[in-house]
Amino acid sequence: MRYLVLLYGDEALDPTPGTPEFDADMEGYVAFSELAGDAIVGGEALQPSKTARTVRHGDGEVRVTDGPFAEVVEALGGFYVLDAPTLDDAAELARHIPAVASGAAEIRPMVEWTDLADERGPTPAGAARYMATIHGHEDGGETPDTMAWNEGAQAHGRFAEAAGDAIVAGAAVHPTTTATTVRVRDGELLVSDGPFSEVVEVVGGFYVLRGTPTEVDAVGSLVPVGPAGAVELRPIMELGG
Amino acid sequence: MAERGAGPDLVAEVFRAEAGRALATVARLTGDLGRAEDAVQEAFVMALRRWPTTGVPDRPGAWITTTARNRALDVLRREARRPELEAVAARSALEASPPILHPVADDQLRLMFTCCHPALASDARVELTLRLVCGLRVAEIARALLRGEEAVAKRIQRAKIKIRDAGIPLRVPPPELLTERLASVLDCVYLTFTEGYAATAGDELICHELCDEAIRLARLLVALMPGEVGAEALLALLLLQDSRRATRIDTEGGIVLLADQDRAAWDHDRIAEGLARLDQAARHQQLSAGAAAYLLQAAIAAEHARAASWSATDWPAIVGHYDQLVALTPSPAVALNRAVAVSYADGPAVALPMLDALAGDARLASSHRLYAARADVARRLGRAGEARALYIDALALAPTGPERALLLSRLAELDVEVAARS
Repeated sequence: MRYLVLLYGDEALDPTPGTPEFDADMEGYVAFSELAGDAIVGGEALQPSKTARTVRHGDGEVRVTDGPFAEVVEALGGFYVLDAPTLDDAAELARHIPAVASGAAEIRPMVEWTDLADERGPTPAGAARYMATIHGHEDGGETPDTMAWNEGAQAHGRFAEAAGDAIVAGAAVHPTTTATTVRVRDGELLVSDGPFSEVVEVVGGFYVLRGTPTEVDAVGSLVPVGPAGAVELRPIMELGG
Repeated sequence: MAERGAGPDLVAEVFRAEAGRALATVARLTGDLGRAEDAVQEAFVMALRRWPTTGVPDRPGAWITTTARNRALDVLRREARRPELEAVAARSALEASPPILHPVADDQLRLMFTCCHPALASDARVELTLRLVCGLRVAEIARALLRGEEAVAKRIQRAKIKIRDAGIPLRVPPPELLTERLASVLDCVYLTFTEGYAATAGDELICHELCDEAIRLARLLVALMPGEVGAEALLALLLLQDSRRATRIDTEGGIVLLADQDRAAWDHDRIAEGLARLDQAARHQQLSAGAAAYLLQAAIAAEHARAASWSATDWPAIVGHYDQLVALTPSPAVALNRAVAVSYADGPAVALPMLDALAGDARLASSHRLYAARADVARRLGRAGEARALYIDALALAPTGPERALLLSRLAELDVEVAARS
């Protein structure tokens, strides 16, 4: 089974790139990669939330503004897509992610994960990659095999056609009622029901998009969202290699 | 001659006794709770149709489980036209399974760990355990827990969907997860018992069904996980507390406090078994924090069970157990109980500042028990006016009819005392 692991933590505690603390943090992630091995299907680190832009739909208008979908202390800092036989296995892997020691991981079972990175090739000069997370209210379209789901799938199909090469990856996740949050405190794994935060919860899924800021704003505005929904566009931290 | 009671009543009785076991086994065979539930349901529908004419089979549980297994197999065969890997795997597991002669107790243990998984909401864990392991109907669960039927049904449904879609495994956790997960199972059983033993709303203090189910589950855990000291300690605690069940309410449904209970009417078989279990559990050197907490609570219950009378209670020993419990689980409810024990060990004047200190704790702000405890201590210190005001505060917060009645009678006694003095 595929699981989306969303990493949340206090950005104020994140080390600055170039410092020894940052390098130590990176080593922690390298160690996690070695431990998890093939179980890691995908994953990215994100730039701080202040670099985000947000597309909001409402009153028949689409507006793009600077800043994250919601100002929160513990923001999304990155994600993994893990392949694990059960939720227990996913949680046991997640406990070794450095961010989980001080923050938390929200584990969401996935309906679908499409990774087109190989097909798309390297990111062209002037373009950058963004994680486009979908927010808003769940409207039933997140439950597979329902009519609302089928309508939603069609809308996303039309979006994929319109967006073309701008889509690098796409994920559909089960509703937030299937979410589980894990933390590690004093070496103990704490497992609880529900999303990490109802304020910033990801609804339905996300895309990885690429392009210039203007292009990504335009494509991000086309991502299907529910009424009064929003899409947060967050630059991905390119770690090289 | 017509079969004795082969009608709906008997089927309902068998359902109650066997549904949980049948479900646990079919769920293991299919790896799918939803399918298993449908199949068990259908098996009982068939029983309702057949047993009145064919008579009740010798082993109704095995009949239900086998029929449910066959129903599940039929469904999987029908679905084979659109083969999914899962369905194929489940079908071959089912076809390979030997005939079911008796239910497998291990299956119930597996199911309990799934129902009590920490990734499910705490309310849902208790409800799901009662529904799936104990075979209670949603309406019965809602009534027993005094929760809305619709809300219970919704939570159970949501939890089942989460088990399926989030991949919560149907298994006894591997050794490295066992301690942590067992704690969640024990807490669920304990919550079930306390919900039954001291209802949190309504006009009846005790729900006997929940107490009985909790003890049944605790026994199952002890039988299936020998050497797990936490399970043993929990069973000791439940047996010792439950030994007083019949004397805790009078014929009118009013509360009888520990001091006034008829100790001769306590269930002495339960006490003997509880004390023996406690001895057994106390022999272990290595304890998890959860197990130690149940052991200490059982030790406190044992002090009461051993005391020949209220005045013979060894309060200093009880305070000693509470000291350890406070260190282990620093909750305000434990601190409150400790202060009450101190009021009997060292006198109300010593306990009063402890209770006053707890009055600032927001977690006890809506607890009638803190007000009632402070009122009792004030009364014992001869401060009638203060006691009266505190009883009235407690009355406003008391959640059940019997608790309100007890507080009203305390107020009446206080008025008589004051009148006698003036």
